[in-house]
Amino acid sequence: MAMTDWTIVTRSLRTRFFSTATTVVSVAVAVGLMLVLLMLQASGRKAFERGTGNVHLLVSRDASGLVSVLNGMFYAGAPLKPVTYAEYERIAGSLPLEWAVPVQLGDSYKGQWPVLATSPEFFTKFRPAEDATWTFAQGAAFAKDFELVVGAAAARATGLRIGSRVVLTHGAASSRASGVAGHEHGEFQYTVVGVLEPTGTPHDRALFSNLNSSWLIHAVDRLEREHAAGEHDDMDDHEHHDHASVSEKDLIDADRKITNIYLRVATRPGQDASAAVPVVMEHLRRHPEFQAAPLTVAGPVQEIRRLDAIVGNINQLLVIMAAVVMASSGVGIMLALYNSMQQRQRQIAVLRVLGASRGRIFGLIITESAFIGVLGAGVGLGVGMIGAQIATGVLRVRLGISISPETSPLILAYIFLMTLALSVLAGLVPAIMAYRTSVWRNLRPVA
Amino acid sequence: MPDTPALKITDLRFRYPAPREGEAFELSMPSLSLAQGEQMLLAARSGGGKSTLLNLICGLMDPDSGSIEIAGQNIHALRGPARDRFRGRSIGMVFQTFNLLTGFSAAENVMAAMMFSAIPASEHRGRALELLASLGIANPHEEAENLSVGQQQRVAVARAVACDPVIVLADEPTASLDPENAANAVDLLEKACQARNASLLCVSHDPTIASRFTRRESLAIAGAAL
Repeated sequence: MAMTDWTIVTRSLRTRFFSTATTVVSVAVAVGLMLVLLMLQASGRKAFERGTGNVHLLVSRDASGLVSVLNGMFYAGAPLKPVTYAEYERIAGSLPLEWAVPVQLGDSYKGQWPVLATSPEFFTKFRPAEDATWTFAQGAAFAKDFELVVGAAAARATGLRIGSRVVLTHGAASSRASGVAGHEHGEFQYTVVGVLEPTGTPHDRALFSNLNSSWLIHAVDRLEREHAAGEHDDMDDHEHHDHASVSEKDLIDADRKITNIYLRVATRPGQDASAAVPVVMEHLRRHPEFQAAPLTVAGPVQEIRRLDAIVGNINQLLVIMAAVVMASSGVGIMLALYNSMQQRQRQIAVLRVLGASRGRIFGLIITESAFIGVLGAGVGLGVGMIGAQIATGVLRVRLGISISPETSPLILAYIFLMTLALSVLAGLVPAIMAYRTSVWRNLRPVA
Repeated sequence: MPDTPALKITDLRFRYPAPREGEAFELSMPSLSLAQGEQMLLAARSGGGKSTLLNLICGLMDPDSGSIEIAGQNIHALRGPARDRFRGRSIGMVFQTFNLLTGFSAAENVMAAMMFSAIPASEHRGRALELLASLGIANPHEEAENLSVGQQQRVAVARAVACDPVIVLADEPTASLDPENAANAVDLLEKACQARNASLLCVSHDPTIASRFTRRESLAIAGAAL
């Protein structure tokens, strides 16, 4: 094969293999980082929207709709103020709803696995995502008090299976809804009766029990507090309020607390949206009954979009940082070529004597720089795609958020062309050096 | 045209930039002509302006006045890439330290000269291997820096004549060789140029090779280095 400009470019890169390889790696890391950020940016928002399931409205007494959604559907923290079960019953019975599911959050297993106490309708009416339904890998939903269903990720991480007996932490450390600090009731042992299939939503990290179990523990705590305050003179020791002595008949309205209500407004068959949603929202917000202690009524999808608008700035910052990393890798290309110019001036001079024009020498260096960029972009795009898969795997396992990284051809082309442009730009200074190389000075015999 | 000299220098003057105030150096050569296929030794002392003269002939430097014609073409009348192309196709160059391309094989060094010629690319490899074989290089795919000094010199000569140039310029081709190898090197150059009917202008201050050339001139006699 004849010698070509391409032969000179590739040989030059091969001769400086270490420098070339490190420069390519630095470009690849920058490109990979940029790709992962751009891919996750778009698909992350969709994953959050997906995680709100088929809920139209979320009712709570959190400080804002966004906090309500993050706490009530993504288990970000324990809600601050409760909603009474009586309020739930009034809401469920007075509005044109397809269904309303009460939810109580605040308890946990081993401090890190949230426990959601709810009604059986949670598994029959509520869908964790538009494209997912509840499926049991083992067992079935709870039917009695102190029975527990475990989400897929929680089961995998904790090793809980059918028949496992556990004690829950009642009143998570951050919870104020329960009015008590996190503590365990060893006398209340839950039995695992069901393990769920993965849904790709945050619910995979949760454990589920019925409301009554949680209320009974509340009742014990309340009775203990009352006893300590001397309100129950006829009860002279704590033994009166243990697991054996407290039953459903001991429950009062103050025990029957929930933290959220998942609502779905009645829709026409086959339709997801309903014009009644804003009407119900306004009704709940303005109803005189709730003016003393206003409810927070949130549209989960809208709140997630608001969140995206807020964190969008942070995303932009991250993308800018990735762009800075890319720019620094461009500087790396320039330095690698610039340093090589010191050693290659004789070679350039020889090529000039053999008939190479200044423009052709300039083109050789630009081609070399662009090739480093193309190699780095190729490796980086591959690494980025693998990295995005790993990142989404970690998010799925750790947070239960299922993100499908989007590999839009437009994004790939954009990153590739940006890297190419950057590498060409980086090659300009060395190429100008090569262009201006003095032939006769560099062909002098070396002393 | 057969009567057109391979090299014709007329009223050449080149003034060096003065390194210090009050010092000025000037190379002047009223005339010099070299017929096609003719071989000549241009003797010059070290620092006598021979490298400058070669750079002017190659078109790598521009004279202050006068002209240099290669096969009737005033090289300095050409500009930019046209001059570079003309140099690649018409002038072969042999350097004192060979200046082979490191990281490239002997064959690739010879093919590098043909990259800038009008020779079809499909012929480059065959021509290079044939040329190297004729000059006694048995391992043309060996990297140039791994060859012996003598072999490197052969590769340098092969590269200089690869494009069938009008003229080969040899800059101190024996400066780093012992007398025996110096004689061999000159012999090699002469024969390679003869085989391709290329003129040879050998610029050297080595007196031991003077007897090899029937035409000998001194740069001081031909012109002046002041």
